[in-house]
Amino acid sequence: MINFGFSISRPRVIDIDRNNLNKSKEIIAEMPELQACIGCGSCTATCTAGNLTEYNFRKVHTLVRRGEYQGAYEELNKCMLCGKCRLVCPRGINTRGVIMLIKRKLGDF
Amino acid sequence: MKHIIIIGGGVAGMQCASELAQQGVRVTILEKEADTGGKVKNWHKLFPTFTPASDVLSGLRHKIAKADNITIKTGCEATQVTPNSVRLASGEELSCDAVVIATGYTLFDARIKEEYGYGIYDNVITAADLEEMFNKNDVRLADGRVPRRIAILHCVGSRDEKVCQRHCSKVCCVTGVKQAIELKQLFPSADVFNFYMDIRMFGPGYEEMYREAQQKYNVHFVRGRISEVSPTIDNRLQIKAEDTLTGRPLKIGVDMLVLLIGMRANDMNTTLETDSGLQRQASGFMQPKDAFLGNAESNVEGIFYAGAITAPKNVAEALCDGATAALRVSDWLRNK
Amino acid sequence: MFAAIIIKYVSWLRALPKSDLVLLGKGLVSPQTMMAIWEVVCESLLHRRIFRINKRLGYMHMSLAFGWFLLIVVGWAETVAYLGARWVPLQGHVFFKYFAALNGINTHIAIFDFVMDLLLMFVLSGVALAWYKRRNSAKLGMKRATQHIFFDKIALTALWFVFPVRLIAESITAAIYGGGGFLTGGIGKLLSMVVSDNILEWAYEPIWWIYSLALGVFFMAMPFSRYMHIFTEIPLIFLRHYKLRPQDKEKSYDNFEVEACSRCGICIDPCQLQQQLGIHDVQSVYFLRDRRYNMLQQKIAHNCLMCGRCEQVCPVGINLNTLRLNSRTSMRNIPNEGRYNYLRGKDYSMGEGRVGYFAGCMTLLTPNTLHAMEKIFTAARENVWWADKDGGVCCGRPMKLTGETDSAQNMMDFNKRLFKQHDITTLVTSCPICLRVFREEYNLEGIEVLHHSEYILRLIQQGRLRIKYNAEQTFTYHDPCELGRGSGIYEEPRAVIEAIGKLLETEHNRKNALCCGSSLANTVIDDKQQLSIATNVAEEMDSTGAKTLVTACPLCKKAIARGTRSKVVDLSEIVAGNLR
Repeated sequence: MINFGFSISRPRVIDIDRNNLNKSKEIIAEMPELQACIGCGSCTATCTAGNLTEYNFRKVHTLVRRGEYQGAYEELNKCMLCGKCRLVCPRGINTRGVIMLIKRKLGDF
Repeated sequence: MKHIIIIGGGVAGMQCASELAQQGVRVTILEKEADTGGKVKNWHKLFPTFTPASDVLSGLRHKIAKADNITIKTGCEATQVTPNSVRLASGEELSCDAVVIATGYTLFDARIKEEYGYGIYDNVITAADLEEMFNKNDVRLADGRVPRRIAILHCVGSRDEKVCQRHCSKVCCVTGVKQAIELKQLFPSADVFNFYMDIRMFGPGYEEMYREAQQKYNVHFVRGRISEVSPTIDNRLQIKAEDTLTGRPLKIGVDMLVLLIGMRANDMNTTLETDSGLQRQASGFMQPKDAFLGNAESNVEGIFYAGAITAPKNVAEALCDGATAALRVSDWLRNK
Repeated sequence: MFAAIIIKYVSWLRALPKSDLVLLGKGLVSPQTMMAIWEVVCESLLHRRIFRINKRLGYMHMSLAFGWFLLIVVGWAETVAYLGARWVPLQGHVFFKYFAALNGINTHIAIFDFVMDLLLMFVLSGVALAWYKRRNSAKLGMKRATQHIFFDKIALTALWFVFPVRLIAESITAAIYGGGGFLTGGIGKLLSMVVSDNILEWAYEPIWWIYSLALGVFFMAMPFSRYMHIFTEIPLIFLRHYKLRPQDKEKSYDNFEVEACSRCGICIDPCQLQQQLGIHDVQSVYFLRDRRYNMLQQKIAHNCLMCGRCEQVCPVGINLNTLRLNSRTSMRNIPNEGRYNYLRGKDYSMGEGRVGYFAGCMTLLTPNTLHAMEKIFTAARENVWWADKDGGVCCGRPMKLTGETDSAQNMMDFNKRLFKQHDITTLVTSCPICLRVFREEYNLEGIEVLHHSEYILRLIQQGRLRIKYNAEQTFTYHDPCELGRGSGIYEEPRAVIEAIGKLLETEHNRKNALCCGSSLANTVIDDKQQLSIATNVAEEMDSTGAKTLVTACPLCKKAIARGTRSKVVDLSEIVAGNLR
């Protein structure tokens, strides 16, 4: 089988009309800088965890912003919070802060 | 006869000088280097037409040589500027009726992006280094071998908060495509990979050149910014990036990495701001009086701008700017 | 009041974990107890540590604490002297003057009058300073004083009233009944001259009532306000001598530390978030306050660089960083459901040797350091096992700093196993963050953990590295927080630099060094704020006039390089560049 990376949403289409964007809005309201992402992939390329397993921070936070929350918390739990991504982000996004925020909003604490 | 001082003998300054001279004004060009031509004298061919940069320069030099009211002072660095005088590093002060600042830009120092390995690994070079290699007709690896796989990285020192360069340097995308084509012309069997975040083909003929690179020259384009470069045991370079279009990490071994370094504002711009009362933009480039109707004028009467002093620009734009500044200066002298 | 305090202490002591109780039991009968008593005198009464930080502040605190203490003791002695040898409670003196006057005791022992007045003046001078400090803290060497909560304000107001009112009350007493020392007696005489006897008689009762109310309010508010520290510092000093410490997870002992905070606010000024960014509600004093009253928010707990600059000056010696860390753990430590199972069996290490080199995640982004270390190892003919050159597993400290302690343990276990498996005897790292966790929590028996600055110095001393010295080369050095205050390594990097060229010190160095601002402990401040701190640090380094700015941490290096156009390098780079 061809591996297209992890899949955290079952339906093919990201249906923004049907997705509940409340959480996503809350997250963006708390850290608006996340919207500044230009998807360059630096964070994912340098990622310590991504070097060892299938984990793609860029993809997870983009999906979360689109209202696709399923599996995001579990994915983010693979992160080691080492901080390399924050050091390379050309848009100066506080990536560690973002990860903690999304986990807090989608997790159980 | 009115006397105008143009600071900077690059293409914008030279163009401005020759236009002003035709209007019967005495012009002095101050050039800090030993020769005029600015950055363009280091370039090989200009996009998108592959016109030799030397053709443009010799055209300009020819026009200047014809005029007898242009003085070129090389090895002269301006330290202080007012509308009526320019002080040189030597301490000499020249008086004038107006000043055109055409000091251009500074190339980003790629060593600052340490993770790309410039200055550490021999075969990591900048776009400027590659132009020099083209000029010498000597594109080779440090050990003399011919490169079989080359990566070109866009946005080095542009659009990057981490090096305090937020702006887009505009010309690097096109340069990257142009250099990819030139490399393929030199080494048809080599693989060339462009690593980009966005491809911004803003000018006439650029998009066509991009398509030609893809179709005719089989240049590969990977959407993703390189994050780390490390050496391999067989003395190649190992590159890590994310192939963002597939969402997976990507590793590739290459022989040569070309960094498309961006344009940053000159350090001297801060002095212009503090000593001459000129306004600077957040990017560090100078702020023209108006973005549309006053783009060759500064906020100080009698001081004008031409070329990349106000923003990253390509050669054609700088030439156009030079002519505009000349027009604005003569208007101003007439109405003074 | 005493009931409230005793209930608190007993419940805290009862809740101590067993290991702490064992320590307590062992310590109780050891010389540590005597040392603790001595420290109580030095600190709780004399406030020696504040004196060291700031003389005027020290005087203020000492006059209040020691002065009041002596007033009570001498007052008690005075009462005993008057009433003869019978049992007098310690607080018996409080209204002594009042009752003495009413009961017609008119013989005065001049020496007591004099000493009591002297002490009262001593305390009053402290109150005056405290009042002045509230109005104008900068004059006392504090740029910012603590912003207090309601309860503190009540207690504070009451405290300010207690002594001036006592002065007036005793003076009026002296005016009517005579007696009093140079102060109360003097004012008393003055009063009896200018104010009619009727008014004095009329004011006599109310003023003593106001005095007793002020005192009452203060003592009522005390256990619930910052003044709880007056008593709590005493058991804390004893417990600390018995080697009790706060740990990764909150425990009962922490209460002693939390409530021993007097909210003096000395921790505010050194905080760079305050100095540089104007953030005024996250400093240790506010953190401890919020934690004590159960109103701590994540954004306060996480908005801290944990640089340790406040801990360095805390007069009570509270383990501020550890407490903040275990608060974060309480907020964020989530059950570890095998989230790092993917680590199993991974090993990207290369090379072989008894010396292991762990670059650290950040060092992979500063390849100059890696390259330099490679040169140094080659020059010293060291066989090296490279743990993470091609990517490794994080040391775990960054995760721990955010409070996910149990998950961090997973990474630590992984790396520990890796080190053991490759049979190394020395572990060198270029990252002070890794260094700290390797030393403090990995328990690597049989493996010596060294920062590369220590390792390089050792190579030089052993003659395995030969360095060119050139006095023309000037360097300045930035102490990384985790290396300096965190691990106590100040001299080794300096010795290495001085073997190469001239070292010019910055204004804040060693224990007082500034933080680069990019600390992994802070997940709240944004990129601009980090840059602002870094620029400030870089400016200080540039002002030394040194040509090259040196540090010994990849994160500091990256941060500082953003703030200057000067050359910023890691220690290893200047070594590799000056090999003979």
